[in-house]
Amino acid sequence: MLYDLNIPWTCSTDPLELQRTISFLSSLGYDTIALNHIMSTVPSQIVNPIPSPLPFTIPPNTTILRRCTLQIEDPSLNYRLPALAAAYDVLALRPKNEKGYDAACVSLLEHSIISLDLTQRFPFYFRPKKLMAAINRGCKIELCYSQAVMGDAAERRHFISNTLEIMRATKGRGLLISSEATSVLGVRAPADVVNLFSVWGLSRDRGMEGISINARGVVVNEGLKRSSYRGVVDVIYGGEPRALEPAESNKKKAIEGQKKRKADDTGEITSQPSKRAQKKAKHAAKQAGIGNGMSQKTTPGDSTPVEGIPSLVVTKDNTLIPTINTNG
Amino acid sequence: MVRVKHRYLLVNILYPELLKAGRESSAKLPDAVTFHQPTTSGLNSRGLEKAIKHGVEELFGDYGYGAIRGSLQVKYLSTATSTFIIKVARDHYRMVWTALSFMTKVPGVHDAKPCVFRVIRVSGTIRESQEEAIRRAREQILAAQREQGEKSDLTLAGIFGPPGTKKDDVMMVDKGDGEEEGSNEG
Repeated sequence: MLYDLNIPWTCSTDPLELQRTISFLSSLGYDTIALNHIMSTVPSQIVNPIPSPLPFTIPPNTTILRRCTLQIEDPSLNYRLPALAAAYDVLALRPKNEKGYDAACVSLLEHSIISLDLTQRFPFYFRPKKLMAAINRGCKIELCYSQAVMGDAAERRHFISNTLEIMRATKGRGLLISSEATSVLGVRAPADVVNLFSVWGLSRDRGMEGISINARGVVVNEGLKRSSYRGVVDVIYGGEPRALEPAESNKKKAIEGQKKRKADDTGEITSQPSKRAQKKAKHAAKQAGIGNGMSQKTTPGDSTPVEGIPSLVVTKDNTLIPTINTNG
Repeated sequence: MVRVKHRYLLVNILYPELLKAGRESSAKLPDAVTFHQPTTSGLNSRGLEKAIKHGVEELFGDYGYGAIRGSLQVKYLSTATSTFIIKVARDHYRMVWTALSFMTKVPGVHDAKPCVFRVIRVSGTIRESQEEAIRRAREQILAAQREQGEKSDLTLAGIFGPPGTKKDDVMMVDKGDGEEEGSNEG
């Protein structure tokens, strides 16, 4: 399974071009493709503009996901990330400055990809501490090779220097490799991509991980976040709902009635002193007995008779009987 | 005296871009066919070699150019199937491969079509490359026929066997390359 999680999509994208790109990616061996909608501000009404299903036929065995990339600058603004995440299949953040980068690495929680525009020079260093903090909690750092392949010499230089720095800081862990190909010419075959990154110093295994395992992790996690209960429990197959026959449903009602009565019963029982209270009292009695230097027998079910002191015994029918224990 | 080892790269030229003029007509053709168009006959092996050297020089400077200049050689070029095989010293084949990844035009041709170079096999002998090229060409025909929805492909599939799994094809380049690579890097 190979993934390309970044094919830019805008409202003006030509569907013919898009179909061509998807078809080409599929012929190169990628089978999960995410269409990426890049936003600089959050609209007041969050609607997913990417049509699903797409208005043309896609190759068989190809999955199309819808992803949103939000550019962030000031983390103190309310970006309404949970609402955004709910509208799209995958949520990524693209920090524009150091503040945004720090927030994306450390404090913001909803996204699973940190995608940087590596064709520019960043006025800060990529420190292992922050990047690894992000990676350790499940975020992936995205490297888009098309920025280098389609860019001019200056962009390529910036891309390589930034990529090397990120690879040094993360030691190649938690990287996600995708294309971000604005035209179909920016797409390369998986083997070519792995070679490209291996020339830049990322080992082959890590490169393969970037387009397969790590990308899969993102997709599966994001899917779980949306479909499961708090991202922990998901019902994969709950079985077929059983069709009830009328006679059976009557029986069920009867059972329910019984159950109700039972519940009432238990309610009565709880009016008796709880087991914990009984135990406590028992313990207190024991202590008293030890204090007197005498051994004391207590029978289970009895309520803590203390020698010579009148106490209340609770019987099964819920009446209290005053007794005096003489310890015979 | 140790023999100088080489690598043979089997490369396909792909044309993923939509043709501006023939949007309607190309819509009828299956995509598998239009990706593997024949290359213009203006491409010759000398032009190709020159373009690769130039690409390596652009990316890796004089060092890269010097490293591959002696060994780079175009062994086979077929414009009809858009396939070629190049030979390069084993220590430096990655630079050549990278240069190919960065090329987006058919080299040495005036008014060239944009294209993508895809390395589909790296092998130690030219024979393996040749066999792989033949296998690929056969599968492309089958794929095109399948996409067209022809029933006739059943007979062909009967002769050549069922289509191979895609997964094997995608990372085929890593096969047979592993153990020498390990000794080289490790």
